[in-house]
Amino acid sequence: MAYIKFEKIIKNFGDTKVLKGIDLEIEQGELVTLLGPSGCGKSTLLRCLAGLEEVTSGKIYLDGTDITDMAPRARGIGMVFQQYSLFPNMSVEENIAFGLKQKKVPREEQMTKVNRMLEIVGLDKQRKHYPAELSGGQQQRAALARALVTEPKVLLLDEPLSAIDAKLRKSLQLEIRKIQRELGITAVFVTHDQDEAMVMSDRVHLMNEGRIEQSDDPETMYARPVSHFAASFIGNYNLLTDKQFLAMTGIGISAGEAAIRPEVIHITEKEQLRDDAYYCFSGVLTGSVPHGNITRYEFDCAAIPVHVDCLANEPKHYTMGAEYGLRVKKEDCRML
Amino acid sequence: MRAKKTYICLAALIPFLLVALLYEILPLIMVMINSFQPDQGSGFTLGNYTTVFTKLIYQKAIINSIKISVTSAVIGILIAFIGAKAVDDCRGRMSYFFTTVLNMVSNFAGVPLAFAYMILLGNAGWMVHVGQRLGLEGLANYNLYTSGGMSLIYVYFQIPLATLLLIPAFDGIRKEWQEANALLGGSGVGFWWHVGLPVLMPSIMGTFSVLFANALAAYATVYALMMNNISLLPIQIAGSYVGEIQIRKGLGGALSVVMMILMVCMILITNRISRIYEPTSRKRGECA
Amino acid sequence: MRKGSKNSPHKGILPSIVIMIYLLIPLVVTVIYSLFRKWTDIVPEGFSLGAYGELFANQEFVQSIGRSVLLCIVPIAITVGIILLAMFATTLYFPGLEKYVQMICMIPYTIQGVILSVSILSLYVSSKTFLSNRLVMLFGAYSVIIMPYIYQGIRNGMRTIHVETLIDAAQMLGCTKLYAFFRIIVPNIISSVIASSLLAVGIIFGDYVLIRNLAGTSYQNMQIFLYQTMKSDSIKASAVFVVIMCITFLIAAVTLYMNRREKNRK
Repeated sequence: MAYIKFEKIIKNFGDTKVLKGIDLEIEQGELVTLLGPSGCGKSTLLRCLAGLEEVTSGKIYLDGTDITDMAPRARGIGMVFQQYSLFPNMSVEENIAFGLKQKKVPREEQMTKVNRMLEIVGLDKQRKHYPAELSGGQQQRAALARALVTEPKVLLLDEPLSAIDAKLRKSLQLEIRKIQRELGITAVFVTHDQDEAMVMSDRVHLMNEGRIEQSDDPETMYARPVSHFAASFIGNYNLLTDKQFLAMTGIGISAGEAAIRPEVIHITEKEQLRDDAYYCFSGVLTGSVPHGNITRYEFDCAAIPVHVDCLANEPKHYTMGAEYGLRVKKEDCRML
Repeated sequence: MRAKKTYICLAALIPFLLVALLYEILPLIMVMINSFQPDQGSGFTLGNYTTVFTKLIYQKAIINSIKISVTSAVIGILIAFIGAKAVDDCRGRMSYFFTTVLNMVSNFAGVPLAFAYMILLGNAGWMVHVGQRLGLEGLANYNLYTSGGMSLIYVYFQIPLATLLLIPAFDGIRKEWQEANALLGGSGVGFWWHVGLPVLMPSIMGTFSVLFANALAAYATVYALMMNNISLLPIQIAGSYVGEIQIRKGLGGALSVVMMILMVCMILITNRISRIYEPTSRKRGECA
Repeated sequence: MRKGSKNSPHKGILPSIVIMIYLLIPLVVTVIYSLFRKWTDIVPEGFSLGAYGELFANQEFVQSIGRSVLLCIVPIAITVGIILLAMFATTLYFPGLEKYVQMICMIPYTIQGVILSVSILSLYVSSKTFLSNRLVMLFGAYSVIIMPYIYQGIRNGMRTIHVETLIDAAQMLGCTKLYAFFRIIVPNIISSVIASSLLAVGIIFGDYVLIRNLAGTSYQNMQIFLYQTMKSDSIKASAVFVVIMCITFLIAAVTLYMNRREKNRK
């Protein structure tokens, strides 16, 4: 049996159905991400696992035990919140020791464990500081240490990095991942940021409107979205209806929709060789936006906008308003 | 199972509700019921209200109370306006010192205040002596023990309260508006008349209703000076319950209800007036 | 003048000083009065601290200070306790009830002392239970009269922290909600609670209406003591006045200090 198991979880807030029958299994030692737009129910699912919300119906198992009706404090789960969860009247050290004190861990043992956590998260120098004196990143490190020090069965992270600026966020993502691997702890991470989900997780569960839309490892999730929603949420897919696709390429498809990632489209000369391995079409260059390492070109293909990503160091120079040939390998075209 | 536990937590509300019920809600309801019952015996009567509105002494109490409350509130606001504007004009040490004094003095009311005024302006008060020596008729013949004479004390306790309430409102007047007004060639008086006052009006009205209530309910100050020898609502109310002659619950109830209605009326009137000025500010808020 | 005056830092000084003089004259005159044996002319004669010596030797006066303190502590403790409990229930379990708690807490603001005191008196004076105890009535009445201030204080304090998140976090670390509320939330809003309690101290300490109507002269606090004294000996009364004034100002100063510190912290 899986380490964590959700069975037909339904959660209603009054008349609003937030979770509509979630079945989900999580293996021990994995870091899984619940990914989705705001309001998709990902945080609610996490809070149900934590015990901070009661499920309307369904069962939750942790390590073989039914924890559905257990109080949050009895579940042996650690949690890191979005922001402002550190106790303002306690120093970093006291915050981290809080959970151990509740468990009546002997004083010396508390000290050793707190010291070890401070070292792991790199807050040794700030141990006597109060939360208000810490930066956002430091606060979240402290919150992480506080959640981990009691050696919980599962670590839950509810958008812990959403309030932190982009650059620091990237390094914290890697750091959290590293700590999780070192401690071998099972972790559930909630985010609305698909890049963050890709970087951090062993497995991504994409959620939409109270349901799991797709569950896969990050690479598959990125390369093979299973639905319109998945394709529109992950990557920057060009989504074309069958009619648009026919208008562009002259080829009819049986699927209702074709999803094409912008980086698999190649820009060629206007007159290009027909090749059976490719879908070929042409478009007028209408714009280009540099995104650092890549440049995103916008083409107008028979009045349908198409994005194409090229590596920025490509020496080619394309002329605005000129018509170019575009082609994409048939196998790179995802039919939905 | 956990839902049951949630309802146990309703118990946390019980102490609060108990105190509120015993010492706030029940007494209020009793006053209202009393006001419709005869002083002796039971049954329903409007007699208490008839008494209140026909007997000269009670009519006078109501009129005096309204008069002194409105007068002291108006004067209080006029002075507070100057005071709050002064604080707004001179930030820094002076305004810090001034607001400190205001905060200190705002706690100063009731019996001690009445006593201080007796020392100052009573029959043998110091200012009266000074007046006699310097031949200032107004001071020499000042009579503190009339409702006119007392209004000076009312004004006194209104000023710090009113000023403290108005100071935050002045933050709403942006310096840029005044500068724009000056650049457009407007006068200072014109600015305050056309821009300043309308913006401040809701705060002024709010302050006015607080001051009115404050003066209407003032009891200790008056009692310390005059005992029961003056016709004011709070004195009459207390007198009819804790009277030396006989307790008249019904009458006291009716007077209390009248006083509460007066307060509610003043709140409604001031709200209505400030709403005239508010639509503009509300629109501004929506645009922002 | 118009344009320049806005930038002049001296513009508001004159009105400030005039108003301050007006406000301080009665106090200063009374303080001087208490320090001299005779003041029937423009200048007082015979400096003496005798009135103060007499006062503090007077057993009744010392007791009246004690009573004033007791009258402050008990109702404030009651009100802070019951409102915290009520807030615990409303914020964590029944958010819908919050507005009723608020309403109940704000009503005393409009009833004021006179009506409250006489209505409580007439309701319980003939009761055969402990409710007719004058001191119990007084505690109840004070608890109600300070409700708006204590409620505001607690509410403001809770607005500065993230109550829900902190309670969630504490629960995940092994606390019950009740424990979390009283050991995490309360310590974090304690300065607002203290600030509003001091405000309440000022109100109760300065009260004369409630104690006079509910306890008569049987329970003599400092205000009643002043009232009794000023009818017989005005120099002694002015000394009582000075003591009351000093205590009042001390309370106000601490309150103001707390509030300004709060404001600076934000």
